[in-house]
Amino acid sequence: MSKLETTRRTFIQGAGILAGLTALPGVTWSATKDVLKIRVEKDIAVLDPAYETGMLEEAVIRSIFVSLIELEDIRSGSNWKLAAAESMDQIDAKTIRFKLREGLNWTGEYGPVTAEDVKYSFERVADPELKSPWAYQFEKLDHVEVIDERTGIIHLKEPFAPLWLMSLPWYGGHIVCKAAVEKAGGKFNVETPATCGPFVVEKWQPKEKLILVANPDWTGPKPDFNKIEFIIVEDNESALLAYEAGAFDFSKISISAVPRIQKNPPADTTLLMAQSSRYVWISLNLDHPKLKDERVRQALQHAFDGDSVLAGAYNNLVERSAGVVQPGTKSSRAENKINKVDYDKARSLLDEAGASDLMVKLSVLNTTTDMAIAQIVQATMTQAGITVEIEPYDEGVYWTLGDQASGDGWKEQEMILMAFNGGLDPAENLTWFRPEQIGVWNWSRYNSPEFESLYQQGLVETDVEKRATIYHKMEMMMEESGGFIFITHEPLVAVHRSNIAPVILADNQLVPAATKLFT
Amino acid sequence: MSLNSTSHARSPLRNNLLVNIKAHLASIWNTVLQISRDPIGALGLFLVTTIIFIAFFADFLMPYDPNQINVLNRLADPTWEHWLGTDNLGRDSFSRVLIGTRVAMQVAIVSIGLAMVGGIVLGLISGYGPKWLDSLLVLIFDSMSSLPMIMFAMAVITVLGPGTYTLIIVIVSVSIPGYARMIRAQTLSLKNSEFILAERSLNASSGRIIFNHLLPNVVGSLVILASMDMPVVIMLEAGLSFLGLGIKPPDASWGTILNDGYSFIRDSPVLIIAGGGPLILATLGFTFLGESLRDALDPKLKKRGSK
Repeated sequence: MSKLETTRRTFIQGAGILAGLTALPGVTWSATKDVLKIRVEKDIAVLDPAYETGMLEEAVIRSIFVSLIELEDIRSGSNWKLAAAESMDQIDAKTIRFKLREGLNWTGEYGPVTAEDVKYSFERVADPELKSPWAYQFEKLDHVEVIDERTGIIHLKEPFAPLWLMSLPWYGGHIVCKAAVEKAGGKFNVETPATCGPFVVEKWQPKEKLILVANPDWTGPKPDFNKIEFIIVEDNESALLAYEAGAFDFSKISISAVPRIQKNPPADTTLLMAQSSRYVWISLNLDHPKLKDERVRQALQHAFDGDSVLAGAYNNLVERSAGVVQPGTKSSRAENKINKVDYDKARSLLDEAGASDLMVKLSVLNTTTDMAIAQIVQATMTQAGITVEIEPYDEGVYWTLGDQASGDGWKEQEMILMAFNGGLDPAENLTWFRPEQIGVWNWSRYNSPEFESLYQQGLVETDVEKRATIYHKMEMMMEESGGFIFITHEPLVAVHRSNIAPVILADNQLVPAATKLFT
Repeated sequence: MSLNSTSHARSPLRNNLLVNIKAHLASIWNTVLQISRDPIGALGLFLVTTIIFIAFFADFLMPYDPNQINVLNRLADPTWEHWLGTDNLGRDSFSRVLIGTRVAMQVAIVSIGLAMVGGIVLGLISGYGPKWLDSLLVLIFDSMSSLPMIMFAMAVITVLGPGTYTLIIVIVSVSIPGYARMIRAQTLSLKNSEFILAERSLNASSGRIIFNHLLPNVVGSLVILASMDMPVVIMLEAGLSFLGLGIKPPDASWGTILNDGYSFIRDSPVLIIAGGGPLILATLGFTFLGESLRDALDPKLKKRGSK
């Protein structure tokens, strides 16, 4: 047997041949039938639908569990369609009858997916004692009645308008296996006790990758890919370089890269730009002594130059938001009450309030976009005589800033640049500003019983026009409180191989099982 | 009359002082000449002098306000108007590099200066003081030295928040033990030398011994160490600023410019050069100067080198 020896000369020759091959005009990258490689920014921590925090966790959960209904691509209007349910019948405003598809089975020895599992899953999320962050998605759930193995009836305490967009197809709506979860102690982290979706987890290498493979027992529509690889790359620029080198088939990219990609797109690549539900705003701490005076808060709103922020941080790819509700929907406001920068007005308000030399702290997450926004705000507000001091924080510290459970640090916060991944139903995005969320996610500490009352009215109102009026009023109240400066809804910007058709949901996550491959 | 007598009494002192100053200036001049004769030393001296000049006169040299945002002219290529182009917020990169030089020098000089003072005081106390105090201080120095610098910096910044003062606190805290240990070692070796014993036998006070005899003899090597530490401190400041833990926006630092350059490397590669270039030059300059200074001031080393 001849011995394979690598000398410097043979190595260089080999490298030269490889380099030559990649330089050939015909050599391009495309997704293969077997594997879909998706770049993601963050790793998973929990795969229990009741306690997940979104992002990759939700993308994986959507692939390994099922929900009664699911949403279509955000670009096609996000209509819902049947998924685990073969039928959904609304008997009246408070009663919905469902029947599960036949052939849905749990992995292991847990048998078929049953109506009992649906009951367990929904009531578990709604149970206040379990403190699921998604409990609000089922807050009007009374109970689920099991009729037979595959049939059940959802009974609501009151009509619940967001049920079809915010509850059943969304985070809290995934069905878990009652027997398996109870056996696991009532909750689980990353070790899923039993799954039933089109994919199963094959391998998880923390902070590197997570691999899903097709579930051999899946009887639903067969996905176009047999294997999904989620590869974790935090940095957008590195991810784009890796994409160009053929490492992924889909990758989100930074907004700043868009002009470059438009001008000189990588081979076989489609640039995806979609309206996302991620809303960005500045939270003003209403309980901070410096911001107690309404005129000071209004001055800050008047001194905010939205146009410069949109141009400098978002390349003018997005428009100014007038609230947190998804733009382009009936429930979203057309524009802010204070819509244009007015330094003179800001200055006169500050003079009236006796705060002409106002100095405020703006806490931000230490990312390129957030820092750019903060610096533009800092530079522009100077023109109204306001000194903005930027406090950049790493993620670990940042997400505790307004959290009352993390100590008294919230008392020191003045303004915080924030962004949440939202949903399609207005209630999904407005729920975080209710009084019960003060010190949890309501970092403005906006405390309005009227807002809560309107929120409750919005939940039970099924007339679209009346509902929209309620949400317009709620967003107007938020703005008038002076606790919020609405900035924008960020766009989803990504590149993908031209031979795939990704399906994207409102939370910017790709749905691997629905993504199509063109051969 | 009394005034006359006083002025008469001061004259020899004044003369003495003048002689001393002249001697010191001559010694410094000789050292500078010696460094200039060494090509590496001359290059180091040139770079450091230039950097210090820029740091002092940045206000006059900057063509634009370094924090002036112009979002319509983002990531512009270098032109005659903007020699190093503009950053992601349309700020003039050249002006930011110049003001970043001042920030780097301010942090480095203030931090090292404070660390030297702290190191001298603690080192002298440790070396000349009672044994128990020496043991306690050595334990503290060792504990401080065992902390990983970056981790320590990040912990302090998390508690105090980022900013120039926090950076200085971090650098001073991590630098003092090294300086103090060196001063302590030199004090221990000198305190039983003949000239100190002679002073003691003449009932000289501890203060006189420390300030008149020990301090002048130990401070020279500390200057060499400090000059060698300058690039380390500059790199630390730039590194922490790169990570967003150092200089607060909108102020420019070479680290923040480098970070902007990294984020937009595909759009404007010149930003990386704008942030990285001065960092490399400053590091080389202070390293070359420090090594040359060591050769010039350490006679033992010179002898060893000539062999």
